[in-house]
Amino acid sequence: MARRLCSGNRMVAEGALAAGCRFFAGYPITPASEIYEVMMRELLGRGGLALSAPDEISSLCYCVGASLRGLKAMTATSGPGWALMIETFQYALMTETPVVIALVARLGPSTGGATQGAQGDVWLAEFATSGGYTVPIFSPSTAVECFELTMHAFNWSERLRTPVLLLSDKEVGMTTEVVDDEALAAPPIVERARFAEDGKFRTYGFAELEAVPAFAEVGGEAKVAVTGSAHDQEGRLRKNAPEVIEVLKHLQRKIEAHAEEMALARTDLEAGSPRLLISYGITARAARQAVADLRRGGMRVSFLQPQTLFPIPRGTLDWALAGVETVFVAEENLTGQYRAVLAPYLGGRQVVGINKIGALISPAEIVQAVRAEEAR
Amino acid sequence: MSEYLAPDAQLPYCRGCGHASVVRQLSRALERLQLPPRSVVLTTDIGCVGLADSLFPYLHTVHTTHGRSTAFATGIALADVLFEQGNLKPVVMIGDGGAMIGLIHLVHAAQLNVDVTVLVHNNFLFGMTGGQHSALTPVEFVTATTPAGNYTPPLDLVALLRAAHAGFLARKFATDADLDALIAEAIAYPGFAMVEILELCTAYGTRWNQLTGSKLKEIAALQGYAIGKPETSLERPTFREMIRHQQHNSHAPPPTQPAMLPHVEGATLTTELRLVVAGSAGERVQSAAGLLAKAALAAGLYATQKNDNPVTQGTGFSLSEICLSPEPIEYTGMDSPDVVIVVSADGLKELTANGTLARSRADTLVVMDAKLDAPAMPGRLVKLPLRRRATPQRAALAALAAWQALAPVVPPAAWDAVLGAMPSDRREDLAEALRIGQQLAGSPSD
Repeated sequence: MARRLCSGNRMVAEGALAAGCRFFAGYPITPASEIYEVMMRELLGRGGLALSAPDEISSLCYCVGASLRGLKAMTATSGPGWALMIETFQYALMTETPVVIALVARLGPSTGGATQGAQGDVWLAEFATSGGYTVPIFSPSTAVECFELTMHAFNWSERLRTPVLLLSDKEVGMTTEVVDDEALAAPPIVERARFAEDGKFRTYGFAELEAVPAFAEVGGEAKVAVTGSAHDQEGRLRKNAPEVIEVLKHLQRKIEAHAEEMALARTDLEAGSPRLLISYGITARAARQAVADLRRGGMRVSFLQPQTLFPIPRGTLDWALAGVETVFVAEENLTGQYRAVLAPYLGGRQVVGINKIGALISPAEIVQAVRAEEAR
Repeated sequence: MSEYLAPDAQLPYCRGCGHASVVRQLSRALERLQLPPRSVVLTTDIGCVGLADSLFPYLHTVHTTHGRSTAFATGIALADVLFEQGNLKPVVMIGDGGAMIGLIHLVHAAQLNVDVTVLVHNNFLFGMTGGQHSALTPVEFVTATTPAGNYTPPLDLVALLRAAHAGFLARKFATDADLDALIAEAIAYPGFAMVEILELCTAYGTRWNQLTGSKLKEIAALQGYAIGKPETSLERPTFREMIRHQQHNSHAPPPTQPAMLPHVEGATLTTELRLVVAGSAGERVQSAAGLLAKAALAAGLYATQKNDNPVTQGTGFSLSEICLSPEPIEYTGMDSPDVVIVVSADGLKELTANGTLARSRADTLVVMDAKLDAPAMPGRLVKLPLRRRATPQRAALAALAAWQALAPVVPPAAWDAVLGAMPSDRREDLAEALRIGQQLAGSPSD
């Protein structure tokens, strides 16, 4: 067995390399810096280019530029850097430019706690666009998942021509653990669909709203017209044209239409269990242990770890909810960010949040919260 | 007919606006260079200047967010060096407002010396939004936001980018008949080029100021601006050259997988074990913990390691939290440590502050340097002369070895395997630390 010790951050970088990432631009920030360092060390020798940017705004702008030129691109940051990237992130979404951002969360608000984990960036990551467009977010709980979900993030970014976030945190990113290379489930690599060089190229051309426009790179034979302003399918700035509204609807529809296909989750359901525990990212680890402890104590409980946080994996959720009366959602933030987002899809069931900031939620705390609810 | 500017183009600018002149001169410059249209990427900023995209039907166009056009163009140019046949020429059209908000992008593009040409249309104000002041507005100039005249001196972009090692810098008036020649020279330059073009904004600049073409020249003279003489430093390597050099010198990437450790039998751990080792920065605390994790790995166990230190890295405490288990490890919190190892006063202070010692149980083994004053705590204390017998640099590893002699978890052969995988010049030192630890465990009172 090829077992080795690896951090989550290291595995994000390896996942990016395995997915075919050719361009990386970064700026130092704890707890994401290791991804930047690995890419700076390893990308050039593999035929790619990694670069130090003067700030996070430039980092993402460089990645978007490189992606427009035709390269798979990624950057990595944490909350304070993400705050600076949001302008360019929206530009990538509007211009249908594939790019992956690894967001290794730390305790906020503001500069917060650089070396403290947290799951407080779910809303800031998902709801960062004017118009509230659905942004695919994958959230790993282990170093192995860091590798696999980074590959999925690239694949979906390329396939749907959209920015995708990989949301981990300090505890997932900077903890070293045993990785068995032979057990890594690397998905097949997806490339963006290219314009076939016949017929008329339209930068944002689509036949149906949910279709993804064929890509032609800046610098190629087909004339490309990129714009972050409201535009028609040819990339012309237009005001009050019905086609512009169609393009905007298309940005949302192409994501929604692939929601079920994008849905990745780890499930451990117990038939007939009236309880479902939902957790993601770092807290899913404590949750898995808590589930084992609760079952050992004779309690029936099902478990769902959405690895795709957005689009919300509705089908998986519905399946996991069958027969469930009470839903517990454990996450390391104060206000139950993912719980609030899930709430409309829980069919009026009783929902209990298990929340904490400043330290990991422990299995014992989850067990206690579940038992306390049962005792009511 | 021009392959560049559409012959029937209706220029969307106010009468007398300098932008119209620049657009025509840019088209002429491209004609002079005979560049294939698809080898040019016109990257435009926000503002009236950003309306140029639609005027050039055959060029690639990228219309961007405010001030970022230079950064997007830089990203395109950076990526272009990876293409064997790459010869893209990004041209950025940006105003004085965009130059201000995106100043860092100009500075970095100059430092990188990427093949990007930036045309800064300096009409001293924000035109599209109503004539507000910018960082390039001259003193006493009246704008919508400096109604009594501007009192902050304007930024000298040429001087600033000279300090950033820009390869090609020039200033021109939009009305200069030879502007096309200068723009052509800038685009032909293989690295970063910036041309600041002084213009009239006929909507606002001339409305509030006694401003004519000759007055514009007076303003330029007043600022001490030299016009029309490009300064170049062709001897500077371009980004393409620098990266070729890097590629040439870059060694094969280090192997993704570290040297594989041989599998060792004999691990005696049957349940999860949680250990904290704490000491001082620079005393190899975290690397000692890393060796333990590796030894556990060699013995077929699961291991996690989390390090912590003050933000300054090089001072104060240094600690590692280790979980070992025969099963995959989920939760990595240190709610109730099984083993605590304290090798210095910094480490003791931190473990007291973060509550680790208070959370110890009666059966928690606490190995501590003999000189430290142990606080009251539930754990079972074993004091060893770690820093006296081992050096401070070896104390953490010696302590781990002592603990392993007292309560074996990882077989000695696993440590041998780990040492065998270390660089030979480190091996003896580590072996010595392990030997001292084992001896200390044999005679703790020594």
